Amino acid sequence: MKARTVRLWSVVHAWTSLISTVFLLLLCLTGLPLIFHHEIDELLGYAPQPEAHAGAARATTQAVADAALAADPGRVLQYISWDKDEPGIVTAFTNSAVDGLPDNTTVRAFDAGSTKLLGPVGIGPMLIMLKLHTDMFVGQPGKLFLGGMGLLFAVAIISGVVLYWPFTRRLRFATIRDHASRRVRWLDWHNLIGVVTVAWALVVGLTGVVNTWAELMLNQWKATELASMVAPYAGKPPPAHLASLDDVVARARQAAPGMEVAFIAFPGTPFTSSHHFAAFMRGDTALTARLLKPVLLDGETGEVADSRALPLYLQALLISQPLHFGDYGGMPLKAIWAVLDILTIVVIGSGLYLWLARRRKRAPARTDAFARRTPVPS
Amino acid sequence: MHGSSDRSRLWIRVFAAPILLAAATITGLLAALLWGTVGQYVAWVTVGAPVLVIAWVWVRCRTQKTGQFSRTIRGK
Repeated sequence: MKARTVRLWSVVHAWTSLISTVFLLLLCLTGLPLIFHHEIDELLGYAPQPEAHAGAARATTQAVADAALAADPGRVLQYISWDKDEPGIVTAFTNSAVDGLPDNTTVRAFDAGSTKLLGPVGIGPMLIMLKLHTDMFVGQPGKLFLGGMGLLFAVAIISGVVLYWPFTRRLRFATIRDHASRRVRWLDWHNLIGVVTVAWALVVGLTGVVNTWAELMLNQWKATELASMVAPYAGKPPPAHLASLDDVVARARQAAPGMEVAFIAFPGTPFTSSHHFAAFMRGDTALTARLLKPVLLDGETGEVADSRALPLYLQALLISQPLHFGDYGGMPLKAIWAVLDILTIVVIGSGLYLWLARRRKRAPARTDAFARRTPVPS
Repeated sequence: MHGSSDRSRLWIRVFAAPILLAAATITGLLAALLWGTVGQYVAWVTVGAPVLVIAWVWVRCRTQKTGQFSRTIRGK
């Protein structure tokens, strides 16, 4: 590699890293507790616990909906969801209107057997961490901005891999020059940690970027696929009265045999049309549990209107989520995720240190050169 | 010709370990998603491999330092 090429890649690596440093540190620091948000919420008492009633029959969906509306009078239901890992809990989302702002949504957990209100969901310190991590409290512009920082991170990683060659080709793999200066030692650690974590960092970084586009992808799906699914119902008003949720669930199961309902979106919410319920179905394997299949049902009669697989870009979004969160391989994978997150903080911190140390090293040299050029008065 | 084969040998020496670790990481990330419980065990080992490498290098540096310190003490 020519010296000029190395210099060019160095500039790309330095500036893509520097511009994104503060935000990447924010993402890594807030991402660290988010890896364990279930455990932290449980520890701090923010995780609703189902009542102990092993073997008891599950309440009907309509009973859960009635309990949710009774718990939040004057508001409307947006979604009801079932978590595969929490079979004893049903979660209900209420808002002032079906298309109300996401920040106005109240999320409450109900016991799947007795429909007893178990408490609010998604509150406490982890909510602050999540908001900082996803949009820095500025909504969609914040999400897209952090997505841009994620792309810079990816460029920094790729340029770092390119620079790994000229910086380490004379060294054995994993050499740390312990007798050299502190700067050289940190350069070796920076290169080593950076190159061994490169695949993980790229996957987590890029899946994070994809997640920031979730709303745009959903809008695209609504404007294309969903629009064509509900086209035969064009001009129909929102339902005057809603079909029984038990009918909706039963018919959705019939339309997608072997699948369970992951969540139901009520007519008028962002996940469906103004006239239809959308039941999002999931399979029972690790992969199919994440690839949701929407079933549209008439809001008034509960009859199945249409059912299609999600387009590839939404499937990519759904697959990218576990790859970003690291919550799909049990506690050991979460622990590894946390260590890799800390190692990424070390790479970012050491990169900043190396840049500052190089500038400091250059400054006296420049001063000397300037002094040499300054004419000495006679 | 000779220079080119030397260069490719050097390239392999520099990038072999990082490429293996990257392949292991990707395999593990997908294994947990596709192969259920067995995939989870695979993921723990393969996604954890970079962490093990860093831990091994760190321990090696510490033991080398300790070894040098003891030799210095014995020398005195």
